[in-house]
Amino acid sequence: MTVKSKSGKSAGPSSNGAGTRQIDRRRFLGGAASAAGVAGLTAATGTFPMPALAQNSIELVTWSWLTASDGEVWAQMIQNFNDAHKNKGVQIRSEVVTGSQYMTKVLAAAASGKAPDFGWCQTGRRLQQINDGVVVPLDEVSMQVGLDWGDFNDFAVSKTRYPQHGDSKWCVPMDLMSMQPEINLDHVVDSGLDPESAPKDGDELIEWAKAMTRSDSSGITRSGIMMTGSDIHPSVTWGIVSAQMGFERASADLKTACVNEEAGIRAMEWVIDLFDKHKVSTREVTDRYKGFGTGQGSIFWTGPWTLNGYIQQGLNFKTALFPKVGEKQVTWFDMGGLEMYVQSDTSRYEQTMAAMKWLSDNSLLWVTKGRGGTPRKSIAADPRYISDAHPPQYRQAFIDGLEFATIADVPVTTSPEFAIYAGGGFLQKTLDGAWTGIKTPEQVMAELKAHWQANLDKG
Amino acid sequence: MAALVERISTYLHERGLRVVDIPIWIGGMLFLLAWASPFLWMVTTSFKYPEDVLTTHIEWIPRRVTIDNFIQVFELPVLRWALNSAVQAIIATFFCVVFGAMAGFALARMRFPGRGAIFMVFLASLMVPTEVSVVPMLLAFVKVGWASTYQALILPMIANVLSLYIFRQFFLSFPQELLDAARMDGANIMRAFWLIAFPLARAPAVAAAVIIFTLNWNNFLWPLLVTFDESMKTLPVGIAQFAPNVGTHTQIEGYAVAMAAITMLSIPSLVVFFLLQKHFISGISQGGIKQ
Amino acid sequence: MQDEHAAIDQRGHRMKQAEPIEWTGYLFVAFFAVPFLLFNVGPILFGLFVSLTEWNIIGSPDWVGAANYLQALSDPWIHQAFTNVLIYGLLIVPGVVVLGLGAALFVNAGYPLTGIARTLFFAPHVVSATVIGLVWVWLLDTRYGLINVYLGRVGVDPIPWLTSAEWVIFGVSIASVWWDMGLAFVLFLAALQDVPKDLLEAAEMDGANRIKRFWFVTLPLIRPALSMVVTLQLIATLRIFSQVYVMTNGGPAGASASPIHYIYNVAIERYLFGYASAIGVLLFILILVVTLLHRTVLRETV
Repeated sequence: MTVKSKSGKSAGPSSNGAGTRQIDRRRFLGGAASAAGVAGLTAATGTFPMPALAQNSIELVTWSWLTASDGEVWAQMIQNFNDAHKNKGVQIRSEVVTGSQYMTKVLAAAASGKAPDFGWCQTGRRLQQINDGVVVPLDEVSMQVGLDWGDFNDFAVSKTRYPQHGDSKWCVPMDLMSMQPEINLDHVVDSGLDPESAPKDGDELIEWAKAMTRSDSSGITRSGIMMTGSDIHPSVTWGIVSAQMGFERASADLKTACVNEEAGIRAMEWVIDLFDKHKVSTREVTDRYKGFGTGQGSIFWTGPWTLNGYIQQGLNFKTALFPKVGEKQVTWFDMGGLEMYVQSDTSRYEQTMAAMKWLSDNSLLWVTKGRGGTPRKSIAADPRYISDAHPPQYRQAFIDGLEFATIADVPVTTSPEFAIYAGGGFLQKTLDGAWTGIKTPEQVMAELKAHWQANLDKG
Repeated sequence: MAALVERISTYLHERGLRVVDIPIWIGGMLFLLAWASPFLWMVTTSFKYPEDVLTTHIEWIPRRVTIDNFIQVFELPVLRWALNSAVQAIIATFFCVVFGAMAGFALARMRFPGRGAIFMVFLASLMVPTEVSVVPMLLAFVKVGWASTYQALILPMIANVLSLYIFRQFFLSFPQELLDAARMDGANIMRAFWLIAFPLARAPAVAAAVIIFTLNWNNFLWPLLVTFDESMKTLPVGIAQFAPNVGTHTQIEGYAVAMAAITMLSIPSLVVFFLLQKHFISGISQGGIKQ
Repeated sequence: MQDEHAAIDQRGHRMKQAEPIEWTGYLFVAFFAVPFLLFNVGPILFGLFVSLTEWNIIGSPDWVGAANYLQALSDPWIHQAFTNVLIYGLLIVPGVVVLGLGAALFVNAGYPLTGIARTLFFAPHVVSATVIGLVWVWLLDTRYGLINVYLGRVGVDPIPWLTSAEWVIFGVSIASVWWDMGLAFVLFLAALQDVPKDLLEAAEMDGANRIKRFWFVTLPLIRPALSMVVTLQLIATLRIFSQVYVMTNGGPAGASASPIHYIYNVAIERYLFGYASAIGVLLFILILVVTLLHRTVLRETV
């Protein structure tokens, strides 16, 4: 109980208000208003270009969970920023946080007044964050630093906000990602398949996978389709295939969970068949990235963040469009974006926004080497968007495939519960029951429906 | 041959052993070898080239060795993590030993109402692992604004009842004459403790220090939860990034780098243990068995 | 103040003359007691409160009454985690007791080289969970792990130690036994060294063989150590987390998840802090029940 009273104290001087979430956010911002005021004054009066710039130099902190492949490019982006801002009083320090712990650590850091200045949005988590008052609306501050929202394509801009939150923008879109199959060309050739072609539908996919699978007495040594025995990969595969077959996690009006249950069940069976019927995948794989990189798998659907790593290591592969396994050809979509976290010292916002603007303006490297499509019209029109990028053999499908990449997050507060691409979440844990044979697809579907419906009912 | 048999039988006889002890000894030694082999395999793997690792061809002594794996580990801020671990463990151990000694002394040798009950409460808490309440503790530290600080790493580790217990057991059999003598000289009980009792409690102090230090150095769940800056992580939490299911570093690096990382992580613990094993073992058996 | 008098009275029966109360004793205890109350007792009480709310770190708690507990009762993952931890107990506790006692008997027999045996049997206990977890992930790798390669040489098919829902508890348990055995070993060894030599010699004179001597002389004498080891190991197993986190992160399909791991998952990956605290309270209750049961059983058999 001692602890409890301490927690009350930390809420700040303006804690006479009721404990609604909206007020909490103001507490955050207001709690250190005095400090911010002083700092703001300094900022306003100290515009003199003094020689000793180091004195008011600021170090912005950013967090991400990116390592390896796209992480290297992100590190380079930060390095570029720091090089360009040497002696200009702003530097960025980048820290890596484990993906599954990212959001809680941001929340914890924000609550203790030590949030990073900015970081990467996590799929589906934005609405919750807005409710919690952890992220800062960017409209005003982006105007101050002159970010040109007109240069973002409409699609990207519409993705930066949710209907419930009016016209506020909550993140700077950085890249657009789709999920497409990467195919190991050495395996294609040694299996007598045509390296110029790629599987177009479900039957061809299985045919290709069977041709490329290798096994010995101990079981499958090379998976025709790279799959893990549980968690993210079978989950996202199910998410894509079920959507192709006509399943919807939530109806368009967000009232009904699990539209077309039967298609969802069929998609689960499709995934299980990869292991047990077609025997083109093995549950033994735990690290899919390493597995595909070391030739333990032949077809691996993933996102553009893998390109840099595999190309650097000299893997001989190409990327194709996701085959049409069901009635309609659709695949997973996500947008990478930078968001700003609430600070006690609000004078940091402008410099943070300026840094985010710089990173967006200079995101050519990011969208050519690091990840997929650009949300910015000017970059898309830049010839270097093609010429400086990874060769089309690797990259083009990720760009072209954006057209049918429509499986995005369900826009409700509890969106993470619906996410098909997330580790250790509700969906993954529930689906794991089907992959490991503990539960039947029907049982799993019933659990999904019950849980999701409850979440939709909450709104 | 006969001479050898003779020598063996004299040897056995001198030690009071029988022939049947030979297979037991051999079996035991083989088991011991198997018991130690994970450490050997860890060190062996850490010096291998990544491409020599994923193979069913077992090489206990690698054909060719490299220290690249260790260099790769140092690309992470391991020195900073090691510093955090050391600061955390040393400070927490220091307070835990001093406070434990004071409380242990009081509960063993001072007369005041309720001391038996107080001791029982402390003892009972040994049955309740702190893990059950890490989540509220995390919330509390976040609300106080101390998350991801040294305070957060150190404070919850100070009140380890094991330390108190070891000291209490020691002071129970501490010669009363020494204390009486000090008090004759006019020292009050506090001075008697600091000048006489505590300096003579070297053995339990070392035992408690070694055990508490190891517990802190290896502590995992709490630092995992409460640190979020890269610069505040402790060594075990930082190195856990190499774990395949939770890590951020498994995509590119394989087992070789992971083994290099944990080789470095385990060496300080093992060296301390090898040097101080007498205290370790006496501390543990004191703390555990004489209840 | 009434307690005080009672205490003095009680004491007075035993002592010939009542010594004065040493008030500084409280001060001496306070240095330890304050952090103890703040960081051991406090979080448990605070956790009781948090478990009755909905709270995601930020903002204020929303009072939800027993909702978290009701949800917990019908949560299949909780059932699984609590079932798993009982299985862990059934595997790890006997494993640690049998191997620890065997190793202690071996070292206590006075064979050559037992000094180094003593060191090595205990050594795994001093390294951190990260080391244990990663070493065993590598040793238990289905395809290239040392264990399966050697098993393969004697004709055993590769066992999916960490990747199948059926085997994963065994895989994690093996690593846990390796980690925890050292403590049991040392406690047993200390107990064995206290067994009077002449008792054993007398038994030998009477014609008792090794097994009989162990069963009728040694075992009864080390009974306190045995009960200590079982208690300590039981509690250590109920709080199993680090090796699960490092080796499998609870997977596949939650088959290796323990209650603490589920608390971690709920709090850190899904940030339901109220719910996580409620699971903590449930685990606390389970531990109390197990400890009390264990004590009663021991008392009755002794």
